[in-house]
Formats: sequence, C-alpha cells, structure tokens
Amino acid sequence: MTLREFLSDRLGRIALWLVCIGLALLFLFATGTQPGVLALLLLALLLVFVTVQAADFFRQRTRLLELENILESLDRKYLFMECVSPPQNLYERHLFDLTRRAGRAMTGAVSDAQAAQREYREYVEQWVHEIKAPITAARLICRELDGKTRRKLMAELAQIEAHVERALFYARAENPEQDCLLRQVDLGKIAAQAIENHRSLLIQSGVRVETEGLDCTIYTDEKWAVFILGQLLQNASRYRGTEPVITLSAKPLGKQVQLVVRDNGIGIPAHELTRVFDRGFTGSNGRSRGGSTGMGLYLCKKLASFLDLGLHIASQEGEGTAVTLTFSAKGNLTKM
Amino acid sequence: MQKIMVIEDDTAIQEELALLLENEGYTPLVVTNFTDIPGQAVLERPDLILLDIGLPGRDGFSLCAALRKAIPAPIIFVTSRDAGVDEVRALSLGGDDYITKPYSVPVLLARIKAVLRRSLGEPEPADVLEAGELRLSLTKGVVSVNGKTAELTRNELQILACLMAHAGQIVSRADLIDALWDNQIYIDDNTLSVNMTRLRGKLAETGLSNAIKTRRGMGYQL
Repeated sequence: MTLREFLSDRLGRIALWLVCIGLALLFLFATGTQPGVLALLLLALLLVFVTVQAADFFRQRTRLLELENILESLDRKYLFMECVSPPQNLYERHLFDLTRRAGRAMTGAVSDAQAAQREYREYVEQWVHEIKAPITAARLICRELDGKTRRKLMAELAQIEAHVERALFYARAENPEQDCLLRQVDLGKIAAQAIENHRSLLIQSGVRVETEGLDCTIYTDEKWAVFILGQLLQNASRYRGTEPVITLSAKPLGKQVQLVVRDNGIGIPAHELTRVFDRGFTGSNGRSRGGSTGMGLYLCKKLASFLDLGLHIASQEGEGTAVTLTFSAKGNLTKM
Repeated sequence: MQKIMVIEDDTAIQEELALLLENEGYTPLVVTNFTDIPGQAVLERPDLILLDIGLPGRDGFSLCAALRKAIPAPIIFVTSRDAGVDEVRALSLGGDDYITKPYSVPVLLARIKAVLRRSLGEPEPADVLEAGELRLSLTKGVVSVNGKTAELTRNELQILACLMAHAGQIVSRADLIDALWDNQIYIDDNTLSVNMTRLRGKLAETGLSNAIKTRRGMGYQL
C-alpha cells in the first residue's frame, strides 16, 4: 500500500474534515474571534488531523506487510486464514471470520477432490490388475492355436496390454513417489524386457533391433525405465520407414550412462519437435498414420523428470529420430 | 515327474496353466480350496509352487511365509501386481522368483525350469545337440560333420540349434525369428535370409551342401 493509494482511498473523509474545519473557523470569525487565535487553532487542528491519519497509514501498512509475509511463507496458500495473527479490531474480526468460513468451505472442497482423485487412481490400478488376469488367460489359450492366427491374436493382445500399461502409468504419474523404487539395475535387462514386451509389434513391423554396449549398471526404477523405453520402441516401430532398424546404444559418461534409441523412420518435422512431449499432441505423423494418442511421450517426460532422468529428442524428417536417455550410474542417496 | 502346485484364483488361468504344465511334462496340482493351503502342500509335497498374490482370504505374501515354514519347495510369485515394492517384498519373504502377468509362455516355462534346476540340483541342459550326422556344440559355437568342423556366429548357431531341436519337422520363418528373439537376437526377415545363406555355405564346407531344405511357403526343414 502506497501513500498515494491511502490518500485517494480517504479522499472523501479528508475533504469532509477540511470543510468542517473551514466552517468552524468561519463561524468563529463571524462571531468575532481574533484572526491570530484562529490561525493558531487551525494549525493545532491540522496537526492533530495529520498525526491521526499518518498513524493510521503506518499501522495499516505494517499489518498488511505482516499478513503478506505469512502468506508468502505458506506452502499451501489456502490455509492462510488458519495461520494469521488474531484480528486487531472489530471490523477486522468480522472480516476474518467471513474469509475463514469461505476458506473452510474451500479446504473441504480441496480435500474432497483429493480424496476423489486418490480413489480414482486406486480404482484404475485395481482395474489394471484385474484386466491382466483375462489377458494372461487369453495368452495361454492362444498357445493352442496354429501359427498365423496365434501371432495375429498375440499382436492384438499386446496392443491391449500397451494401452492398459499406459493407463496404469498415467494414474501413477499423479503421485509418482508412491511407486518409485530406485535401485541398481542392469541396463541390458531393462532393454531386453522392454523389447520382449513389445516383441509382437516389433516383429510384425519387420523391425531389426541392434544393441550396443548395454552391459552397464544404472540407478533407476526398473518398471518405469522399461515403460519409458517401451514407449520409444513403440514410436520407432509405428513411424518406421523402409527396412526399419532400431539401435539401442549406451555409453558411460562420467557418473552417468547415456542411452540413445535411434531409428531410421520417417522423423518429426522440425517445427513440431518442441511440442512432442505435450499432452495429447499427435502431430502430422500421428494424424497421417493414425493410432496415436499423444500420451506416450507426455508420460515419458513426466516420469523422467521425476526420476531425474535426462530425456532429449532429436530428429531429421525422412532420416529418423534419436532419443537420448541419461541415467544416473551412481546411487543418489539424497533422493528418496 | 515333477509336481507343480498352482495357487491361483482365476479359473480360466488355472485350467490353461494346468494344461500347459501337463503338456510340458509336469504334474500340475491346482488348488481349488483356499483354506489351509500350507496343510495341502504338506500332504501333496510339490517340487515347486506358483503363487498369486491377490487370493481369496489370505494374501500371497503371508501365504508365502507360511509355506516356507511348511515345506522346502521353491516358490515363484506369479502376479499382476507390478510395483517394485511388491517384488522386493515377495523376494524378501522367501520367494525364489517373481513373474508379472501377463507373462509370455516361453518366459514362464524358462523360469520354472531354472528354479527347479537350482533347487533340485539338476544338471545343466546338454551342451551338444545331435541330428543325423550333425553335431553342434552350443558353448563352443562349432558344428561338426564326420570330423570336419565349421565355426558359427551367434545368429547362425541359434538358427541351427532351433532347426536341430525340431529335426525332421518344418520350421516356419516366423517360428525361427521367434526363437532368435527368445535368445535376444532381434533380427528381421531379410537378416534371417542372409544368415540362412551363410549357414548353408558353412554347412556346405563341411560336406553337407543341402542339409537344410527350403519348403516353399512353409519354412525350412533339416
């Protein structure tokens, strides 16, 4: 609050005061009071008036600053009314009371929403676990079919699984700390698992996968790393060119390990490259080929930022795409 | 025959898993009554237990601890719960392995075999495959025919091993690719053709010029 704001706010009151003083002095002058006495009286009245206003100004300003500091220091701002110092006067007390009541209603709404979200997440997780039983049964039943039909059905089942997996990780990404388990894992094992998970799609797409230097250990959450890598493999085989090859190559870089997933697919237009991690962004490739949800890379980014994992994408239209994942090779004990 | 106890509450999976295990030469014991499972285990004495986590009544974790006390058989968790914490908990409670649903059938069978081998102290699988005049050493990567030998690359070795394991039968290209991917060789159709030509060339050097027959439209036959 500046002095100017304060004065303009009190303009009416100040004007009324000045008019009253003027009228009083006029009356006294008319009834024959000495001009010297009047001047003295005017000075005294103005002094009292200015002092009162100045005191008001400073008191209000300190109070506002104090409240502002409390709000600044709060993590959850909507709890402000529960933390302020007691009101200083009747008006403030009533005002505080009103805002507190409004605040309580809001906190209630927030915690209801949080509970609903938690329940929804729990339901999605439970649902995902339940749907996995029939998928498992279907896979076992597929085994009895002959080659071609079996492969087609297995590919469809793999598609269902990929969608289910994305739903699970979408639910998990809301509160990632609940599931994250940073451990020492073998990068080769993660890559083999991710390839195995998407094997039907890769073989069906006629993709050859080459691996290079994956025999190193990294610190990460295994499930999440497999998921992220799986999304990249799916993208690489979905947006493939002719004679598709995906190369997974890793090289140690000080305390980190860099994994590059490179394909020779159709690539991403330069102007779309900055938006591929946006939620729901499908781009011209996704639109022309179909089947894109715009969720894969968005989830990758979200999980990667929680895992402190570097995720960088480079692409040349018509040449291919390279995604670089930077893992930590040393245990980071400050986190978790 | 080795007995495998299946503790799983989904009836479709129970049935199919029992069929699969039977076809693979195991004796499946499907648990249908979920009360006093440790008692049933003591009676049946299985060689291995496949255990789900989400079960009616008692969950898999506490069941694992109870089974551990009751019998010495190894326990493989087979569950749809895939959080890392569940796996750590399962293994710390005495589980020997942890497989998440939906699993691929070859992976499940391979892990069952590995756990059984470890617990029963069975010998490693044979290193040398034989079919007709062909002798293939898997660890050395060498094929020999009547004293003449040829060294094979990893890809060629796996292709030949797969054909020899099904000697006399027709193996389709898709089956060959599947077998190679099982061994972490991720090749495509064209690469398979290239490797096949090289393998035939090496076999020809040893004097077997047309050991691998091409059955048009169906696959290969040794």
